[in-house]
Amino acid sequence: MTLPIATRTEAQAPPAWLQPVLMLAPAAVWLALLLVIPTGLIFQLSLVPGIRPGQVVNPSGLDNYIRILQPDYFPVLTRSLFFALGTTIACLILGFPVAYWIAIKVPKRWQNLVLLSFVLPLWTSSLLRSYAWITILRPTGVLNTLLGKVGIPALDILNREPAVLIGMTYSLLPYMVLILYASLEKLDRRLLEAAADLGATPRQAFWRVTVPQSLTGIAAGALLVFITSMGDFINPEILGGASSMTVARLIYNQFLGATQNWGFGSALSMVLILVVSLAIALLLKYGDRNAAGGV
Amino acid sequence: MSQAAIQNQAPTITDAGFDVELRKVSKVYNNETVVRGIDLSIRRGEFFSILGPSGCGKTTTLRLMAGFETPSAGDVLIQGRFMNQVPPYRRPVNTVFQSYALFNHLTVWENVAFGLRLRKFSKAEIQQRVDEALKLVKMDGFAKRFPTQLSGGQQQRVALARALVNRPTVLLLDEPLGALDLKLRKEMQMELSNLHRELGLTFVMVTHDQEEALSLSDRIAVMNQGKVEQIDAPEKIYQQPQTPFVADFIGDTNLFHGKIEGFYPTMLWVITESGLKVKAKQPENGNTLTSGAVVLSIRPENIRLSLAVPDDEGNSFEGRLRNVMYLGTHAHYQVELLSGDRVTVMRPNVPTHLPGADTPIFVSWSAQDCLALPLV
Amino acid sequence: MDVSSARSLTRRQIMQACLAIGTGLMLPGCGWTLAEVRPALSKGNKDELSIYTWESYIDPELTETFHTQTGINVTADIYDSNETMLATFQSGKGAIYSVIYPSDYKVAEMIERKLLSVLDHSRINGIDNLMPEFQDSVYDPGNQHSMPISWGTTGLIYNTEALNPGPEDWEDLWRMQAKLNRKMTLLADFREVMGATLKSLGFSYNSTNPSEVRQAYQKLVQLKPAITTFTTDAWRDRLLAGDLILAMAYSADAVRLIQENPDANLRYVIPASGTSLWSDAMVIPVTSPNPDAAYEWINFMMQPSVAVEVTRRLFFATPNQAAYDQLPLPLRNNRSLFPPEAVIQACERIIPLEPKETEMYEQYWTKLTSG
Repeated sequence: MTLPIATRTEAQAPPAWLQPVLMLAPAAVWLALLLVIPTGLIFQLSLVPGIRPGQVVNPSGLDNYIRILQPDYFPVLTRSLFFALGTTIACLILGFPVAYWIAIKVPKRWQNLVLLSFVLPLWTSSLLRSYAWITILRPTGVLNTLLGKVGIPALDILNREPAVLIGMTYSLLPYMVLILYASLEKLDRRLLEAAADLGATPRQAFWRVTVPQSLTGIAAGALLVFITSMGDFINPEILGGASSMTVARLIYNQFLGATQNWGFGSALSMVLILVVSLAIALLLKYGDRNAAGGV
Repeated sequence: MSQAAIQNQAPTITDAGFDVELRKVSKVYNNETVVRGIDLSIRRGEFFSILGPSGCGKTTTLRLMAGFETPSAGDVLIQGRFMNQVPPYRRPVNTVFQSYALFNHLTVWENVAFGLRLRKFSKAEIQQRVDEALKLVKMDGFAKRFPTQLSGGQQQRVALARALVNRPTVLLLDEPLGALDLKLRKEMQMELSNLHRELGLTFVMVTHDQEEALSLSDRIAVMNQGKVEQIDAPEKIYQQPQTPFVADFIGDTNLFHGKIEGFYPTMLWVITESGLKVKAKQPENGNTLTSGAVVLSIRPENIRLSLAVPDDEGNSFEGRLRNVMYLGTHAHYQVELLSGDRVTVMRPNVPTHLPGADTPIFVSWSAQDCLALPLV
Repeated sequence: MDVSSARSLTRRQIMQACLAIGTGLMLPGCGWTLAEVRPALSKGNKDELSIYTWESYIDPELTETFHTQTGINVTADIYDSNETMLATFQSGKGAIYSVIYPSDYKVAEMIERKLLSVLDHSRINGIDNLMPEFQDSVYDPGNQHSMPISWGTTGLIYNTEALNPGPEDWEDLWRMQAKLNRKMTLLADFREVMGATLKSLGFSYNSTNPSEVRQAYQKLVQLKPAITTFTTDAWRDRLLAGDLILAMAYSADAVRLIQENPDANLRYVIPASGTSLWSDAMVIPVTSPNPDAAYEWINFMMQPSVAVEVTRRLFFATPNQAAYDQLPLPLRNNRSLFPPEAVIQACERIIPLEPKETEMYEQYWTKLTSG
């Protein structure tokens, strides 16, 4: 007896696209509510010159963006870039040896513990950590006291650019170490043996095999540190001096300062988003080259 | 040791024809002795195989030659020079790894050029040697590809080229064909053999595949549990195994445990544990067995089957046919003797009529084919 | 169609969609009011009072005494600048507060933005106790929306051992620049800093004359290398530790530090050519959930006995005449807390500026802090 079973199930089966949509829906809603809509609102605000709270929003033009192009604001952007790039490079230089040591030299059973100890500072408030640096870097602080004992003259680091870099690097180093560790831990040791077999000294093997193999990790870590430090507000505020205006603080001043110019602040925010997106695009493209070579 | 210091070592007083020597080399890991005081001497230009089951220590032995491990005791010499303290990047050897270990962030061309670049050859020289090496392994069209875009066989050839391009004194191969399917493996075995003949290098290959070892090597070292059981040319390994392990590991064989009842210079009589009286041959290596426990080894292809009692003077025993396995060119017959022993017999072709399960049949072999091996 | 062209088609569609949304947002007419503040719709718990104030105006003893008197529980949140207070208030978070302590010019601004409820003077006791000059105010005519709670000046607090003789006027900052090098801070408020500089040039604290403001900016640029940082609070520990030898500070903060550290060789000076006079006031926002409790609190703080206690413990100058008369002599004669009439005459109050003028100041400030 032949029942048209096939056609019956076909008619009752849900359409093929339903399952993916249902699975993506929560994330899509979350993204829409918390990212897309707010960004859209900010974009709209950025088109209103001089809008203040309590006023009606009426988009009218690109005046805010034109204002950003004035030479007054250029040093602010370059300072932010300087801090971000400096922090990224410092984190790479300091973080790579640490991650390498943990991933490759530390016995497997201790790895998690050592990693945890490096990441532990993240458990404290980032604000507290920055304040701690004040205690260390002050003219009469811990660092200078120690230097004094050895006979080195006191260093005037606090409230200058180096202090901000130190604070930022310290805040973001654990992230870099974590990301680099994840990449290095997957390193195929046999490749290092092959390199040695072909005549590479440990140093040559490091630069010709280990580093290229961990490029995706390096790119990911650099990206994270760069983006975070571009938006860092606390460290320049607390550890910076009279000349430490960054884009983050400028935006803060627009929204929470005396000017109350939410329009200009929004325009600045959009520019920041643009710069960061550019950085992401660049780094992803570079990371992609590695993907073509096979990871 | 620095490169200069290595070169300046006066070769020790050995036959300068040995490219690789291991003298009483042992390796201990975590209180486990993986290699027990082995001696190996590999001649220049030889194709030498180290054969054994997994865990016998053969890979460790290879790694000791390459420099990835340091011996716990004993000496490793390459071309007469002591290499114990010399790191792998200073030894004149190159390795083809079991997993190929190709650099996936470099193209095929760059992989092969890796060793040459380290030694700062000129661009022209590198170009020429790399192209040469790729042509040798028939991968010249693949220079711009990345390893992940290649099949297993292709990767293996690139790994070969990468090692050979450096013109090493000795080429070490660690189970190079293990990951390939049967047909490809047979092809690559041919190519390896051809390469060896063309280049005249010393090849040291580690494998667990006895067919491979037997077909490619000039000499084979059979290893078991960290010790070398026998080193010989393939035919001798096969026909004249010197220990029960070698007899059992190489090819198929039938083993009988027993005691010596009587002996002559070239023959001996053995009573097996199952009560059979067997006439066997004394070992060829001059070791005359006189008494005590022995193991007898008879290869299946040396046993004859008949329905009637054989009339020659060889060993013959009655049994019943239990199983037949057809293998194309020949067949394996499982016969259960009246004594209880199970014997495997191999004969070409399958007769059209097989005897029934209750029909008496007779197995027989000559004493010349029956080896007596001392129990170690 | 093959995958790549299918994907690029979708990408193009996405771009088109974004463009459409973008242009849509650009169109006027979809007007919504930014950060609108609406009056509270429901009353809060009548035994709970939430206030938003400066750090130096509150301590547990005060709230305890209030609770004993009225049975109302007080929770206080702290802010360190008027701007932060206003921003929080506008973001909607401020809807939980029933009493806020804005400074004078901020009160004016909040009145203009219709954020403050009109005070029913019949419910407040002790308005007569206020000093004559505080009975009316220029920023809030008739004190209709606010009750003054403290007042003071902006001046310089310095280490008398390190600077002897010390500064007496704004100009001394430039004169002593070499000695003050990297050991001095100014307030993080650009009205105060620019105002002080304008004063040192002989202009008004509130000047909006572009040329005058520019001159003030240029003068500040000269001083900048010697400035450690701009901060309203962070100078306290560092002045005590010796990292700093001078800080621009509000009188209330300065006097408190000096009184609490009598051995620290610190002195507060009101610049001779004049400075800004500030006063803080209590207000009830329109969103207040518990106006009744708010009035209780205001009355409590206006009690002379409470005002005396508060001045003695927290060292801010009270505008309450009756309280002043009851203060111990040392405090009454403290010229840093209660400067003489002549000094007050030389002072100016900071007045709110038009948005365009605020922007001009802000632009110079950005230039100053980014150069």
